[in-house]
Amino acid sequence: MLKMTHLAKVYRTEVVETYALRDFNIDVKEGEFVAVTGPSGSGKTTFLTIAGLLETFTGGHYHLDGVEVSQLDDNARSRIRNEKIGFIFQAFNLIPDLNVFDNVEVPLRYRGMKAAERKQRIMDALERVGLASRAKHYPAELSGGQQQRVAIARALAGSPRLLLADEPTGNLDTQMARGVMELLEEIHREGATIVMVTHDPELAARAQRNVHVIDGQVVDLAEEPRFHAHAHTAHS
Amino acid sequence: MLTDVRPIVSTLRRHRLTATLLVLQIALTCAIVCNAVFLIGDRVSWMLTPSGIAEGDLMRIIVSDIGPRRDLHARVEADLAALRAIPGAQAVTVGNSLPFGGNAWNSGLKLDRSQQSPSATVAMFYGESLVETLGTRLVGGRLFRPQEYAWVDDLVAGKATSSHVAMMTSDLANRLFPGESAIGKEVFVGGEPVRVVGVLERLPAARVGAREDVNNTLMMPWRMVPAYGGGYFVRARHGEAAHVLKDAVAALKRVEPRRVIVEARLYSDIRGRYFANDRAMTVLLAAVSVALLVVTALGIVGLASFWVAQRRRQIGVRRALGASRTAILRYFQTENFLLASMGIALGMALAYGINVLLMRQYELPRLPWTYLPVGAIVLWGLGQAAVLAPALRAASVPPVVATRG
Ligand SMILES: Nc1ncnc2c1ncn2[C@@H]1O[C@H](COP(=O)(O)OP(=O)(O)OP(=O)(O)O)[C@@H](O)[C@H]1O
Ligand SMILES: [Mg+2]
Repeated sequence: MLKMTHLAKVYRTEVVETYALRDFNIDVKEGEFVAVTGPSGSGKTTFLTIAGLLETFTGGHYHLDGVEVSQLDDNARSRIRNEKIGFIFQAFNLIPDLNVFDNVEVPLRYRGMKAAERKQRIMDALERVGLASRAKHYPAELSGGQQQRVAIARALAGSPRLLLADEPTGNLDTQMARGVMELLEEIHREGATIVMVTHDPELAARAQRNVHVIDGQVVDLAEEPRFHAHAHTAHS
Repeated sequence: MLTDVRPIVSTLRRHRLTATLLVLQIALTCAIVCNAVFLIGDRVSWMLTPSGIAEGDLMRIIVSDIGPRRDLHARVEADLAALRAIPGAQAVTVGNSLPFGGNAWNSGLKLDRSQQSPSATVAMFYGESLVETLGTRLVGGRLFRPQEYAWVDDLVAGKATSSHVAMMTSDLANRLFPGESAIGKEVFVGGEPVRVVGVLERLPAARVGAREDVNNTLMMPWRMVPAYGGGYFVRARHGEAAHVLKDAVAALKRVEPRRVIVEARLYSDIRGRYFANDRAMTVLLAAVSVALLVVTALGIVGLASFWVAQRRRQIGVRRALGASRTAILRYFQTENFLLASMGIALGMALAYGINVLLMRQYELPRLPWTYLPVGAIVLWGLGQAAVLAPALRAASVPPVVATRG
């Protein structure tokens, strides 16, 4: 489903080159639930950003659903994001000016779906996250946990094959985090592939597989238990 | 393009105050510019009113002779001979009035001697061979015959009798005798009967009251003299007016060195002065319109830029959720189109209101409805042009903003 080989990502500023990812290898199979852990600055978000086609990479290969994505133009990438990928962000990222219904509708509109089908899917997705009664509410009128559930509904409404979540519970208290996690597990059981970045070892433990990232590389914890606090930076 | 309308409208509702202010600005601009352009068009068409005379070749010289008024006729003949001798002078006469010349000679015209009030107020034109000198076109009947002319001072002194003939413009003829030929008809001017012998295409009055009366003019076969308000009218060969004017002044000075040249102007200058106020008003209205359009465009650019900056995060999120760059561009273009449409709709109503007010206050005609769609298209275009740069900036927000803010 998601396969990266020798992938590199370099951030260049005027003074420094930061290798956010280097020789990064990962293979997520269809239907897997993978938790990505690692210290701050190790490249977890960078990985997820590239995986979700939000950013390009500097070297290596990335096959998403069998397609080498480095050759795709911006429109094709937008279409893949829209049709195959669902995003869940730490900061929820709901659009404050739109109510819950309209927020969930956003990706469906970009797909050019008919109004009746959009409505059906929105209500199904909201039903799923238990917020059908809040369709007319605005994000500011909801709790953090509810907002994240709306975000999940928005990610689900388009029935994506791949769900990418960057610390989806990072801004939530334990109880709300548990609710969100249960929802993700349920979605996984229904067949979605999920890649979730988390700092919470307890949540990570509930995933099928754990991937640990250190210094922009995937490491096998059993073999290489060293700890790098910062990404490698080279002065140019 | 319009798939985004509903969420855009609900977003605008959440920013009601800002949106309303911009809509009002667009509405006011629409209303004022529509009316201003209409007023400009009205003034310009008035300023372009044809005179039917050889404007580019004509000039007027007004002299004031000091000393006893003996031998008026001999002096005029001497002056005219001097003017005719100028190389490049084609026709010369003494006349009382020029179209849009400023100094009007008006008379009441009656169709019946016993009538209480006149049927029309007409501007009078006098001068030997005036039609030929000015280049006015005769469209019916005949010109005055040489023996029909009489000296104005003799007429005033009772030393000569009028030949009782006149020419009038076709406008006046049609008004007085609709559906009939005016030739041979008798009218009364200053109590005296005159017979219409010729019809002129047009001859605008020297000073016009109501615009529709611009060609209410009548010509009589009087030989004018400077002492009775006449000026020398010279028609130059084409392209020679400027030097003929100089030579004419010199020639008149040569005939009588002590005389005062009160005025020596090309006709284009005379006409230009008559419409100076209209021209100033037109320039002012145009400047106000342009300023309003610029301010409104800047307002649109400003608000759109502010919104793009404010929504940077959500633009990134939309991109992450699958919006193409084009979709983001369209979002802001559609938003602007909606705001502009609301402004235009309100502006049309306002434009109509302002027009009604102007009609009452200044007797202006009704705003033709064609101004409304044209105004709408102009403002839509202005809005789209103004929003383009901010919208392109929005479209270039990268999707990664969704994860990194
Ligand atoms: N736009 C950028 N320009 C330069 N460096 C960047 C940029 N984005 C990320 N980095 C660097 O890349 C490295 C990896 O960052 P990343 O955000 O992927 O870490 P992370 O594992 O998600 O950390 P955290 O757990 O704190 O969210 C960091 O050293 C970071 O400073
Ligand atoms: Mg991160």
